[in-house]
Amino acid sequence: MKFYKYLTLIALLIFVNACTKLNVPPLNVIQDDDVFNSKGGITIYMARLYSELPIEDFRYSPARGLNNFWIISPFPAVTGEALSRDQRNSVTESVLYWGDAYKLIRETNYFLQTLPKHTGDFTKTDIDSWLGEAHFIRAFTYFSLAKRYGGVPIVSNVLQYPTTDLNSLDVPRASEEKTYDFIAADLDTAFSKMAETNQTGRANKYAAAALKSRAMLFAGSIAKYNQVSFFDDNHNRLCGIPSDKAVTYFKAAYDAARLLDGKYSLYKKTFAAGDKEAQYHNYVNLFFDAQSPENILIKGYSYPQSVHGYDAYNIPLQFMGPNGYSSEVSPTLNFVELFDGLPKNPDGTIKNLDAGGKYLYFDNTMDIFANAEPRLRATVILPGDVFKGQNMEIRRGIYTGSIAGGISPFIPAGSTIQYPTTNIVQSANGSQTAYTLPNGSKMNPAGASGTFFSEETCSLTGFSIRKYLDESLDKSQVKENFETQSWIEIRYAEVLLNRAEAAYELFNAGTPGTDYLQDAYTAINQVRERAGADLLAGTGSLNDITIIRNERRKELGFENKIWWDLKRWRIIDKEQNNVLYRVLMPFYVAQNGKYIFDVRKDEKNRFYTFDPKWYYEQIPNDEITKSKSLKQNPGY
Amino acid sequence: MTRSPKAKASNRIPVTNVKSRKMKSLLYIPIIALVLTSCSKLDNYPSPNATLTGKVIDAGLKATVQTEIGSGGTRIKLEEISWSDNPTPFYFYSMQDGTFNNTKLFTSTNKISVEGAFVPLVQYDATGTITVDNRKTVQLSNTPADVEFQVEPFLRVTWIGDPVPNTDSTITVRVQFTRGTSNPNFQNDISDLFLYLNTTPYTGNNDYDNRYSKQLTYSGSDGNNFLGQTITLTTAGKLPAKRSYWLRVGARTTYGLKQYNYTDIKKVVIP
Repeated sequence: MKFYKYLTLIALLIFVNACTKLNVPPLNVIQDDDVFNSKGGITIYMARLYSELPIEDFRYSPARGLNNFWIISPFPAVTGEALSRDQRNSVTESVLYWGDAYKLIRETNYFLQTLPKHTGDFTKTDIDSWLGEAHFIRAFTYFSLAKRYGGVPIVSNVLQYPTTDLNSLDVPRASEEKTYDFIAADLDTAFSKMAETNQTGRANKYAAAALKSRAMLFAGSIAKYNQVSFFDDNHNRLCGIPSDKAVTYFKAAYDAARLLDGKYSLYKKTFAAGDKEAQYHNYVNLFFDAQSPENILIKGYSYPQSVHGYDAYNIPLQFMGPNGYSSEVSPTLNFVELFDGLPKNPDGTIKNLDAGGKYLYFDNTMDIFANAEPRLRATVILPGDVFKGQNMEIRRGIYTGSIAGGISPFIPAGSTIQYPTTNIVQSANGSQTAYTLPNGSKMNPAGASGTFFSEETCSLTGFSIRKYLDESLDKSQVKENFETQSWIEIRYAEVLLNRAEAAYELFNAGTPGTDYLQDAYTAINQVRERAGADLLAGTGSLNDITIIRNERRKELGFENKIWWDLKRWRIIDKEQNNVLYRVLMPFYVAQNGKYIFDVRKDEKNRFYTFDPKWYYEQIPNDEITKSKSLKQNPGY
Repeated sequence: MTRSPKAKASNRIPVTNVKSRKMKSLLYIPIIALVLTSCSKLDNYPSPNATLTGKVIDAGLKATVQTEIGSGGTRIKLEEISWSDNPTPFYFYSMQDGTFNNTKLFTSTNKISVEGAFVPLVQYDATGTITVDNRKTVQLSNTPADVEFQVEPFLRVTWIGDPVPNTDSTITVRVQFTRGTSNPNFQNDISDLFLYLNTTPYTGNNDYDNRYSKQLTYSGSDGNNFLGQTITLTTAGKLPAKRSYWLRVGARTTYGLKQYNYTDIKKVVIP
């Protein structure tokens, strides 16, 4: 009996416990259905796409690439906006953006192909808006590639791998023109599909229009100014766009910028006409007001998940935080001289000498900037200005010699030699020995924020960066991987400048239809008025593209945009051709208690030469060797 | 790899500490054996033994086209067509006197061209069709191949007399530049003229002492007015005495990658 019991049991065990098919999706891998069937899932997918979006923000530097917190080789020190102790010459990017771009492109392609299969619970508006957003992200990524490499392989669907047809994975580069046309088409789709508003940090349809104005202006500039021509074997022009296409692209940029009319405006919440102090505070606040009507696309941060250290690296020495970094970005005098309201010589340089060639005296270092344009004060901390409730103390040394007959310049004009040591006391670094002034009081030779002749943790130029520095941060909070102020990737001022530049180029080309000169003039004056700068007197004063370009340098300075502008205008190789940037060094005069300013070339011989082949960057060599069809850019 | 019996022994579970120590020491034997074992098989391909030498010659002057070393100068482009008609090019750079020599190339058939501050050997029209193709197909083997490229430099920069040391610790040179090509497509504006000074014989835009070197820049077409004229350039700053300096002058046009054409190098000793 027992035997049969066991036999039955065994039989049951063997025959009844049959197989269930194991064709079930793995439970530890999230499936498309989980992601694409809920709003939460879509938001998560988008969060990943945005986190990979190649925004050159507080975590970007050409030396270390995107999403790297350590920005001690700051981007502005490549363009002539600033000098830095850790970025001492012209460079092109050393971390090449390529593989990550195609990863992100694949993710957007996957999204575009997969979302329409899961239309269950969503409204058509929602679906369209998300698809549009994916088109925006893909266009943003392609533009990041195009501005670096020219024409790139266009992959607009999900490539299947593994596959037997390996050649289908080896996509050759498209022409530069086709690449920009692809970007334009994506942004047109994005504009038509997306909603008017979106979550903060995500794009809406106007972000797509704004990006289109940026990208098309870039393409138009290439068509007009680029000299390099490079073809593949199939007659695709990988570098360069035919010059007759310039007007088409400028027109596209102009039209795209016009789409934002009445939707966004310049930030003027605390602006008051004629009140420079109010205009200054207004300009500072524009970078911190989350409700700013100027913000088109921002990138947010939050502690501790996603943080940066902008303040820690760039804070002037006297406000240094616990990490010990300071003053990585010191704006050059060349940059400061672009602004209005400074005493200037006829050639546009700052006036520091009297008619007899002797130094002019000032009661304090801010006097020379008494009438400076408010935007300058909001962009750059001037020597002697108030920051965080303290006077920004920048002084190169104390002049102890005789003042009879005035003081002659310490070194010949244009010289790069060191300052003489007779009659000038200076400090090598922050541990200073105070000098006893004739009235018996003591004074350190250099200011608390510099400038020292050896140590470079201070202001190197007489100025320090102000834009984006968070004045409300306590000293103890000024540290790496701690800060969370938002990065404004696209703001309305840029759109106005895009519009002005495109309009002026169209006017120059004699394009009929609109009074483009008038339009450019109005846009420039809108930007200038908010900045507190001198307005253009009339359309007649707008007689040179340099006026519009300089407005761009001033308005968008230190926002990681200028290098690309200098490149698309194809002028950076002339501007950075064995050049030393200029600095403004305040000295205290012991005999009369006044200040003098010396203008000189950079003391540390940081000279800049831009290699013209960098207009088109090098495609990573491992990509070239992997592919049978990918062509390297000229010169690499 | 096969395991030795001793290695198998080490798999037994150790019972005591003493034993385990012994076991551990036994464990070292296969590791040491593994480390000492090495492959003695030689590579199945012969090492590169083909040699390519040559020079880039100014078709008009019959002298080599001076250049700088490194990526700003003349480079030689090899497209190996023995196995693919769409190869990834291989490049190497010329020496600064315009000659080149590479003794570590593989036996192969190559289309060879040179790129630098001269009229390109391969030219395209506006639609990307090749209109001029002066590449040379060369078989590389252990018999050294010698190729000579006759090119038209954008500019010819020549010394007028020798550099003259001055009493104020500077050096004055006289040069002139002329067009090296009559092809109007390659007669771009002259953008600058540069007197390079260095403390080694390797001088040029790739390596110079910017404290003493002197640059003249021309805007627009202004530089073209100086074609064929004698231009006097003096070094900047004060040169330290009792040293040798190497000088050369470069000039360039706005064409393409804006590379320089050079004079040859002259040595000046400041006593």
